[in-house]
Amino acid sequence: MEQQYVEFKGIGKRFIGVRALHDVSFRANGGEVTALLGENGAGKSTLLKILSGAYTADEGVYEINGAEKHFATTQEAIADGVSIIYQERQLVKELTVAENIFMNMLPSNRLGVIDYAAANAEAQRIIDIFRLPIRSTDRVKELSVAHQQMVEIMKAVRRESNIIAFDEPTASLSETEINTLFSVIGHLRDEGKVILYVSHRLKELFQITDKIVVMKDGALVDTLKTSDASEKELIRLMVGRDIGDIFHHLDRAASFGGPVLEVRNISNDNISDISFTLHKGEVLGISGLVGAGRSEIVRAIFGADKLQRGEILIDGKPVKIGSPADAIRAGIGLCPEDRKDEGLVLENPIRTNISIATLGLVSKMGVIDTKMERDMSLKAIAAYNIKTHSAEKQVIELSGGNQQKVILGRWIGADLKVLILDEPTKGIDVGAKSEIYNMIIGLAKSGLGVIFISSELPEVLNICDNIIVVKEGRVSGTLAREDASEEKVLTLAM
Amino acid sequence: MGANTENTIEKNSRTNIGSIIRSNTVVMLFVLAGVIVIFTAINPSFLTTQNIINILNASVIIGLLSIGQTFLIIAGHIDLSCGSIAALSGAIMAYIMRETGIAWPTAFLLAFLFAVLVGIINAVLVNVFELQPFIATLAMMSVCKGATYLLCEGKAIQIADKAFLKISAISLAYIPLPVIIMVVMFLVFGFILARTVFGRMVYMIGGNVSAARLAGIKPKRVSTILYIISAGASAVAGALYCSRMFSALPGAASGAEFDAITAVVLGGVAFIGGKGNMAGCFVGLIIIQFFSNGLVLSNMDAFWQVIAKGLLLIAALVFDFVRRKRFESRL
Repeated sequence: MEQQYVEFKGIGKRFIGVRALHDVSFRANGGEVTALLGENGAGKSTLLKILSGAYTADEGVYEINGAEKHFATTQEAIADGVSIIYQERQLVKELTVAENIFMNMLPSNRLGVIDYAAANAEAQRIIDIFRLPIRSTDRVKELSVAHQQMVEIMKAVRRESNIIAFDEPTASLSETEINTLFSVIGHLRDEGKVILYVSHRLKELFQITDKIVVMKDGALVDTLKTSDASEKELIRLMVGRDIGDIFHHLDRAASFGGPVLEVRNISNDNISDISFTLHKGEVLGISGLVGAGRSEIVRAIFGADKLQRGEILIDGKPVKIGSPADAIRAGIGLCPEDRKDEGLVLENPIRTNISIATLGLVSKMGVIDTKMERDMSLKAIAAYNIKTHSAEKQVIELSGGNQQKVILGRWIGADLKVLILDEPTKGIDVGAKSEIYNMIIGLAKSGLGVIFISSELPEVLNICDNIIVVKEGRVSGTLAREDASEEKVLTLAM
Repeated sequence: MGANTENTIEKNSRTNIGSIIRSNTVVMLFVLAGVIVIFTAINPSFLTTQNIINILNASVIIGLLSIGQTFLIIAGHIDLSCGSIAALSGAIMAYIMRETGIAWPTAFLLAFLFAVLVGIINAVLVNVFELQPFIATLAMMSVCKGATYLLCEGKAIQIADKAFLKISAISLAYIPLPVIIMVVMFLVFGFILARTVFGRMVYMIGGNVSAARLAGIKPKRVSTILYIISAGASAVAGALYCSRMFSALPGAASGAEFDAITAVVLGGVAFIGGKGNMAGCFVGLIIIQFFSNGLVLSNMDAFWQVIAKGLLLIAALVFDFVRRKRFESRL
């Protein structure tokens, strides 16, 4: 088979007032995994969208195997063998794996009656190539997040795509699931396919990629072989400055105060017998595989999910929490895992997204005081360094990092004792991450008890004073920072 | 960040004139002006004080229903039973007055409480049994319609209470009392929606119900109050209708929920929730009423009016879609 390749030549793209891409040129070969690395807004997603036909380039051309292409629609790109695996999976969850793999291409007879036997058999054949423990007749909604992503990939295989791009594929996967994904990607690479791989996680790039294309502010900074690159150098290239070890500069509290949150034997359908104590000034990490019950624990404490048994104490006094409103009244704040679905009212301004949890503070007798509300939002914008020109900007227009800061800013006026952060750094760039680390440490120093959940182990190990590891809805161990290591956490988690 | 930047952010954060001019309500005011110009050209008697007052008077029932719908649709809900609740509560009121001879305020209070009860049932169907608002209130619409026919035994229930019949005949400075009631209710509920904590909660649950809940808002409590407001406003509409017609009619306010929803959507309330305001709804109401009246004055067949209203709703929804797309493409 002749070698497949994609070549970008001087690609440029403008949106109103913004230059999203400028003169991007590189070549990605078949049989190799090419990484696209850069902070949010660097232009990686825009480039993928141009390749997939969702956007058209204003300048430059791209070639597939030497032939210039101008995809006007995603269908054209798919027909020419280009598949993009997005973060948001495009699956119909009620349908089976086979139906999703085939979608509108289900084999049928002349009368249009679907030949399910053939479809299921063919889908199973594809599944078996990757040695996955799923059946073609399983419903997608019953699969784990990772396996759902595999279905997405198998869709691309079924279409016989030769160019497959992954947009942050590991964002919601646990370590073991990531390994499965990497073996699938490796298989596709060995078949000679062109693989483009977008990720923020540097460590992964060393595991799976052959070549790294670093982008910054819409332009290409450098293209280097993975074997020649170092983590430090990549950070310098993508940030444009040497940020060193961001964790070392954290100015953490020397000691804790008394217990602020005590959780005793709480249980519901997802978690059993969870107990722990959080102190004033402490950052407590909750670690574990995705689906182990990390979010479920904090949702139960916050009243977002029903609690069947157990007791929650704030400042030594038992509190009854039946809803998030009760939790907020008791002094608990939550920054939820899914910013877009659960955190923000996207098509609303920063102002209302900040005042939403503390409307009582900006109103008199139920009437909102516009000036007080505006002042609160301006205070949060300044305190959390939210990059915007106005408090009236809609949050949908902000970057992920700034959206996260809006959610943090929402608790600025609240009289909180406990702040829970569920994956606050998911999908945000290195610069914003380091700002958020500092905010977390700062809040803890001011006397708050902070619960921090993250899928990125280095973060948990460096930010948290103590770490609870959960497995299948139960606490499998507790580690103090001095004793914790990636190996120890993973051993407890698996 | 320097003080200078902070001042700029603060200045930018104040309401700017540009966004008001570009807002949907202003666009709709131009549409309204267009409607007035066209129909006045066709029939000069369109733009007379008397005709304007007639139009306003005719819009009272739909106007009151559209207040409840504005709240509900912004919150991501809808109440298709509002027209039937108006008819049923009117019939209950007339029935009580005929059977017991008591004065209208007591009869109205009872009918109003009954409507509130229906509103609570709607809320229970949606919040406890988690039915789709569209389907739950569609079923309730049928129940109330049937109950009205049963109560009326298929005929009108005459009303004798002179004081009650006078309500729709009184005018203050040439403006009929029902119009004044409607305008006052628009102002009061417009204020609640735009300026109060409760109004803000309505927008937040319509914009993203999960996020609102995790920020401490109780979506079920808010929507329950909205179904009650809708049913209560419907009871007021039903009473005013009876007062104007001297009787309760089994087919009263039939299709009024359709007109009310058209007015709301024309007024720029997004069907997926989270967006819109009471002023827009009022402009939408006036457009649809001017439009129907203009068609009558242009000697258009009554059946064409029904088609025209349907087309108007489609136009409003398409306009909503186009605006949305334009917003998304800006991102």
